[in-house]
Amino acid sequence: MAARRSRVRSRRSKAYREFVSEAEEVLERMRADLSDLADQNDAGAEVDPESVNSLFRSAHSLKGMAGMFGLDGLSELSHHLEDVLDGMRLGRVALDSPAASLIDEAVNVFVAELGSLDDPKTPVEGSEAVAELIGRIDSAVREPAAPTDALTGLDLDPALLRALTEYEEHRLRENMRRGRNIHLVEATFEILAFDEGLAELSVAVREAGEVLSTLPSPGAAGESQIRFGLLAASELDTDALRTRLDFPDATVRGVWAPAAAGSSPAPAVEASSDRAVAAPEAPPAADPREIESLKSISDTVRVDIRKLDELMNLVGELVIQRGAVNSIARRLQAEPATARIGRELEKIHKLLDRKIQGLQAGVLEVRMVPLRQVFEKLSRVARRLRRDTDKEVRLELRGADTELDKLIVEELVDPLMHVVRNSFDHALEPADERSALGKPEVGSIRIEAFQRGNHVVIEVADDGRGIDLERLQERGVERGLVDAGDTLSRREVLDLIFAPGLSTRDEVTETSGRGVGMDVVKNNLTALGGVVDVDSQEGRGTTITLTLPITLAIIQALVVGVGGQRYAVPLNSVLETMLVDTQEIQRSDGREILNLRGEPLLLRHLSQEFGLPEIEGAKPHVVVIGLGDARLGLVVERLEGQQDTVIKPVQGPVQNVRGIAGATELGDLGAVLVLDVAALIEDAGRRREAA
Amino acid sequence: MSANDAPGRDTGITGTTGNWEQLARSAAEPAAQRDEVLLLRELLAFELAGDPYAVPVERVREIVRLRPITPMPRVPEAVLGVIALRGEVIEVIDLRRRLSMPGVEPTRRSRIIVLHREDGCVAGLLVDAVNEVLRLPEDAIAPSAQGDSEAVEALCARGEEFVSLIDLEKVLDVDVER
Amino acid sequence: MSGLGREIGVQRILIVEDSATMRSLLASTLEGLGAAIEICEAESGFEALRCLPRDAFDLIVTDINMPDINGLELVSFVKTSAAYRSIPLIIISTEGSERDQAKGLELGADAYLVKPFDPDQLNRIAGELLEKRRGEG
Repeated sequence: MAARRSRVRSRRSKAYREFVSEAEEVLERMRADLSDLADQNDAGAEVDPESVNSLFRSAHSLKGMAGMFGLDGLSELSHHLEDVLDGMRLGRVALDSPAASLIDEAVNVFVAELGSLDDPKTPVEGSEAVAELIGRIDSAVREPAAPTDALTGLDLDPALLRALTEYEEHRLRENMRRGRNIHLVEATFEILAFDEGLAELSVAVREAGEVLSTLPSPGAAGESQIRFGLLAASELDTDALRTRLDFPDATVRGVWAPAAAGSSPAPAVEASSDRAVAAPEAPPAADPREIESLKSISDTVRVDIRKLDELMNLVGELVIQRGAVNSIARRLQAEPATARIGRELEKIHKLLDRKIQGLQAGVLEVRMVPLRQVFEKLSRVARRLRRDTDKEVRLELRGADTELDKLIVEELVDPLMHVVRNSFDHALEPADERSALGKPEVGSIRIEAFQRGNHVVIEVADDGRGIDLERLQERGVERGLVDAGDTLSRREVLDLIFAPGLSTRDEVTETSGRGVGMDVVKNNLTALGGVVDVDSQEGRGTTITLTLPITLAIIQALVVGVGGQRYAVPLNSVLETMLVDTQEIQRSDGREILNLRGEPLLLRHLSQEFGLPEIEGAKPHVVVIGLGDARLGLVVERLEGQQDTVIKPVQGPVQNVRGIAGATELGDLGAVLVLDVAALIEDAGRRREAA
Repeated sequence: MSANDAPGRDTGITGTTGNWEQLARSAAEPAAQRDEVLLLRELLAFELAGDPYAVPVERVREIVRLRPITPMPRVPEAVLGVIALRGEVIEVIDLRRRLSMPGVEPTRRSRIIVLHREDGCVAGLLVDAVNEVLRLPEDAIAPSAQGDSEAVEALCARGEEFVSLIDLEKVLDVDVER
Repeated sequence: MSGLGREIGVQRILIVEDSATMRSLLASTLEGLGAAIEICEAESGFEALRCLPRDAFDLIVTDINMPDINGLELVSFVKTSAAYRSIPLIIISTEGSERDQAKGLELGADAYLVKPFDPDQLNRIAGELLEKRRGEG
């Protein structure tokens, strides 16, 4: 056994990586379930047995996996966790908050251990934290209940009863104890297409009560059909249930009813409280977890993001080579001797181009994931913050279906969490202050995501205090960012928010520190090729707007030439290009401005930006770049056409050079640097040049 | 930095040892074939301004001929720029300038040694020529004395002469304007 | 397709397990049985129900604890269907669910294994069941 385990244990083995990836998913699911459990406890509602059951199944999975990989410490921890959860779902252990927080701790320990598994230096588990936690978990499990007697009085085929697991039996008894009616709802489906029909029926039954078990049996008409029997518990009697389900093809048969006298039929109201109502600030509509668990008979494949990156790189290389084929075709066509071959090659190139674009679109689509998971994480953060800061806040989430490149989404979690924490902490006033101001007691934070052209915009808006511009400017002066006598525009004051170390609050708070961090948010966003904007009304609230490119992968770029060098400008930030006469350029206050249809456009010579020699006298081109509301005119010498590019990061500290976002490979030209549009615009805005 | 040299994996190391692949393979010979008592270090020996230098072989990823180097703005003089290598963008440092020597026009023997940095990234060093892989016993390597160039971390005795072992951490560390 | 498989002597195993990691481990263990084995994976009881009519299986290895329908319900279905009742079944359960294991055997499963299972034992039992089935023609 030991030999086998060490083979599987090899850290780089595929099975091991699958284990880590699946374990992470399971732990994430546990967190979501624990959060639901917390909500249910908070709302004083009866706990949804499905949450507990789901936690149990997760612990069970973890135990199985950890065991197979010889991770004894983790296996033991999950074993104890499974025992507690089994006790909970079988009604032997109370489902109260201390128990829930114990499980929460265990999940955290698990996540930590899982994280340190990759580090060859740390000893694999067996840490004290684990052992101590196990001890506490053990003492939480009470003695098992008295042995249960056989289920009697049920008008049910004993074969069906035998197929119930211990848990399902417990749920059956529990419902009987509570005086609910037990029914058998049966329907027959085609064996190759039962999913949807069964899902619909199950959902309908769940809305009227609880599905205790789903039992398949051979269809009467033979192999092509399958019959499903749903054992269900409900407050409704047989006729009422039949009417409510409204499924003419399904038969509903009463299996057990509580005795008329002696049992206390619970009021109808209890039926709805059985399903814990989702807390008001929770994300999208009805929690479709039930539907999901049936539909997860999946049409989906779980993919390692690295594989997607490889695919993306390959497509990128294809795109570049296709460009090379195109230029060869052109050269051939230019010579009379080879013109005909050149034309044929051109035709093939066009075909290739279409196919590659299709492939590119396909791969890009695969990388896109909806923001939903991020939103769910934010909900959980908000819940915790509510508890910690004791503020009543409503979180409104819109646009969870908006999609972004998976890598971008992963990088978004931290900055978004930070912004939400900031709002909670600084912006939103405590309830009494709010009512004194005539605002609703419950503060609100609205997070909305939507697509705008090539970008995705995420707005985080709160209705709190707003930013105190005077204080902010004072702070700016204190920090030496601004001179005391300067008059700053409103926008300039607001932008001070993004300077490191600035905060208008004096105390360090537990939840988000000194308010330091908007500069970090900004850096994070810039690294992703996006921008952050802030707008605020004193007394009314603050809105932070994040603008991100939809994908980092393949983008179109405009290649420009200046000082003997070439640079690539991401096309989705290029608004227009034009040829200008040097006479049209005006100088004002040390800057160069162009009159663009009545609006002043700030200009910046790329040669000056990068310290390159500039050729005098040539008619310069101006490339107007813009992000959000800001604009800048880049002055260059030549425009060399559009290219599909794959932006590659430059490895090492050189990647931090200001103004350069990365580089791309352009055939035999070698590496061409890609401009960081956001940085250029920002620097130009701040710079006051000597004439 | 002419574009005459065709890009590609051909490294063209001069010297009697043939191509890089062979070198690497011979460098990876199992320890059992060596004298068990002596611990041998393997070093890639190269030339700079006529003097012998070396880097540890295990840090070398590959050696490439010169190819077009795209200059980067806002970097120290020693950083010549970046090259594209099979889809990767790698910075190139002129070792001469890094060691405070004047830079020169590259020749046909000039090579870029692509090395692994400690943080996992790769970077390239431009040198005058690459010679061979040395196998030296551990005790032939003496940490350099005070007063020597701080980029050299040790001197290795090879026959009559001393080969300077480059301190890669210092040399590959570059300060850039943020 | 299944008919052809029969002639060549290939036997088909259906693995039913919701954890991807466990599924891969089961598959790679059973592959050790040799070249005349074809392995199909189902990630839920429902998927297993869809696989059954499409191919002829010579062995089913199923986990007990799964969402939607559990392993016991699958065993019950298999053993009450005229078409599939002759297929041998191994159930994989966890330590501590003795009642479920007993039920599985009662419902007609041929063997059970407890997680974490010993791969040699799995292959031994699977091998025996497949051998027996081969003998039955």
